[in-house]
Amino acid sequence: MSRSLLAFACWFTACFAAETTGPSEAERSYAKGDYAGAVEQWQEEIRSQGITAGLLGAVGNAEWKLGRKGRAMICWERALLLDPRDAVALAGIRHAQNAGGTERPAMSWSETFSTALGADTWLIIAAASFWVALLSVVVPKMRRKPANAWTQRARLTAITLLALSVPALWGARSHASRAVVRRPEVSLRLTPTLLGEPIHGVAEGDVVRTGRPFNGHVRVTTAGGKTGWVRTGEIESVWGGGLPVDLDQKAAP
Amino acid sequence: MRRFLSILSAALFVCVARAEDRVSWEITPRVTAPGQPFRLQILVESDVVLGGAQDVGKEIKPPRGMALRLSGQIIRPDSTEATLNFSGVAPDQEGEYIIPSFNLRFARKLIIAPAVKLIVSKTVAFRRSEQARAELEIPQRTFFVGELIHGAINMYGGDSEGVVASFGLESVAEGFTFQISSDRQTLPAEKGQGLQTTFDLTPIREGESEIAINGIMLIRSADSNTFSRAGRDRPFTFRRRISVEHVPEKGRPADWSGAIGQFAVETVQVSNEKPEVGEPIRLRAVLTGTGNLDRIVPPELASSEIWDVLPAVERRRHSEEQRFFVYTLVPRLPGKHATPAIRFSVFNPETRTYSKLEFPPQEVTVTGNAPVKVDLVSADPSAPVGGPSKVSGLATPQPRQGATFLHSKGPVAPLATSRGFWSGNLLALLAVALTTSILLYAGYLAAHPEILIRRRARARVSSALTATADAQRRRDAHAAAAAAVGGLQAGCAALLGAESEAMTQSDVQRIFPDANRDDLDVLFGHAHAGRFGAQSGHESTTAQEVALSLLRQLRQLL
Repeated sequence: MSRSLLAFACWFTACFAAETTGPSEAERSYAKGDYAGAVEQWQEEIRSQGITAGLLGAVGNAEWKLGRKGRAMICWERALLLDPRDAVALAGIRHAQNAGGTERPAMSWSETFSTALGADTWLIIAAASFWVALLSVVVPKMRRKPANAWTQRARLTAITLLALSVPALWGARSHASRAVVRRPEVSLRLTPTLLGEPIHGVAEGDVVRTGRPFNGHVRVTTAGGKTGWVRTGEIESVWGGGLPVDLDQKAAP
Repeated sequence: MRRFLSILSAALFVCVARAEDRVSWEITPRVTAPGQPFRLQILVESDVVLGGAQDVGKEIKPPRGMALRLSGQIIRPDSTEATLNFSGVAPDQEGEYIIPSFNLRFARKLIIAPAVKLIVSKTVAFRRSEQARAELEIPQRTFFVGELIHGAINMYGGDSEGVVASFGLESVAEGFTFQISSDRQTLPAEKGQGLQTTFDLTPIREGESEIAINGIMLIRSADSNTFSRAGRDRPFTFRRRISVEHVPEKGRPADWSGAIGQFAVETVQVSNEKPEVGEPIRLRAVLTGTGNLDRIVPPELASSEIWDVLPAVERRRHSEEQRFFVYTLVPRLPGKHATPAIRFSVFNPETRTYSKLEFPPQEVTVTGNAPVKVDLVSADPSAPVGGPSKVSGLATPQPRQGATFLHSKGPVAPLATSRGFWSGNLLALLAVALTTSILLYAGYLAAHPEILIRRRARARVSSALTATADAQRRRDAHAAAAAAVGGLQAGCAALLGAESEAMTQSDVQRIFPDANRDDLDVLFGHAHAGRFGAQSGHESTTAQEVALSLLRQLRQLL
């Protein structure tokens, strides 16, 4: 027994030591001001080890330093989808709004509520509470026995959690149905056509709420409440995960 | 013979002879005073139906100083005659003026109008003040390339005529841009009654050139009434020689960016006099005056240790002759500071000198603390890459934090986009629903056993019907009776809730009271012949038919 405990202590120490090693190559590049190099190395890290909110936030910072506002905002917004409390992404978005002139729609109460746990967590809670509530009703009927006290408590708890998760899911849905403007100067058009009359302008990095798509365009609403159509390729949806799309790269035929 | 030849030649002459077109003109009055309006009428007689004349205004080239315009033509569709009326204004100089010969392009024929002579003499009594007249108002000096020249056409009413409208103002000049700034405005009170059209000219190259401005004004006579003509048009034309130069190089400041005119600093103000460190404020400077406000390149303000300057957003108010320079300033340090001064140079075309204009700095009190980790210069995404390392307003990246629980290598899509999640839940829901349904149905059947008993009895009755029919075809009376009795016993037992082996003829009669007891006895006797001995064949056949009928009825009851 004592040998097992010693082995576990050694493994834990080794893991902790691995976590606290010095800065990575990408972090050193970022600190030196080689932001392009840092972006490449972090992207490689994401491809090889998987994506995290921390990595996305770091890539967002480096992209912002390179002047690519659209890519930076995409990274930060997606980092917040993974972890609504990611400090780097939150600071980056606040910085972009205050100093960079980027506009972002204000969050509704349901969206704020949904950010308490994150969309995935709320969905898991909703699914689990649904099943518990359902089975707590169905199983006693199958067994032809009245529900006991524990079953009733489980049923009540599950229904409460389900009721709480419904507005959170609604908020998460509306929170995720946004996109970031990727082109430097984009006109909101009155109609979803190539010759649609420009009615308003949005800049790269601005976050807009997206509506229905039509004729290669998407209906969007800006932070200021202006509504119009933009071309599909001019914005990138926050919903989707991963690194920002490379707009310079032509799509495969 | 001679007589015949003379008649023939006369006939031939008549055939080949071509009628000549007759064109005459008349000027009213024949001799005019300088600047006096006149009317020119041209009468055409031809041998063909003429139709309407086209492009007469373009063909006629009046002499220098004379304004002339086609004011109407009188042509009947089936007539060989046409009348063309021109209105004009005589030149200001005395002399004989020849309007050169010009073409009249009718629909059916081209006719050449002869040259027209107009005599202008000061001996003619003419009160100029009675007539409506137009005057060109433009500065008399040397202009400069890029300068904005304000000009005007003043159309004055006379003692017996008033100006009611004007149209068709155009400039024929090379080396200038021409733009009408206001059309058909009422003349200022100090200039009298009439209309004014103002325009802007901008020279685009140096040298001597001539501008020509043409237009038409619509006049109304004082003696006109409701039933007279609504008005008459009177053309005007002006020609001016203009000298254009480049602005002098001598004394030209390095920061001169094309401002030509007379400008003045109106106001300069900040949006917030007490901002916090890092809080953007707006510096707005208003420039007024006359000149090429549109062409002024906004003065650049460089960022400093105290201020971070973001690109200017400017506006222009045409009607107020103002130009706005707007800058966004972000204070970087706390304390009392002055905003950067906005300076630029102006060339005055009147005095031919350069001067400097300056919007004075504004005092601003910046509150807050000096940033330790925030450097707002990096706020501008267009800042050059690779410069000295600056502290950023962004948080320090922490790429090792926020590891996902499921540590995916690919792009992390939200769970709601996962098809597996939704299909798994749906399948589980279907399985639960199916299991629940099966259990509920089984419970129902357990609570109502008669359902299964009747179902089994119905199956046995059906098989008994089939077996009885088969046995009849084989002429096996015993087997037919046994099958029929078995079916009757099974069906009656299900209806009476008893065992089928215990069913007798009396039980069958409880279900079918109208059944013949004798037939049932015969049937049951044949079925149990091994135990009680065989019956006659005829009676057995009748009993089998009765049994088949009862079995069919029994199947319906079940």
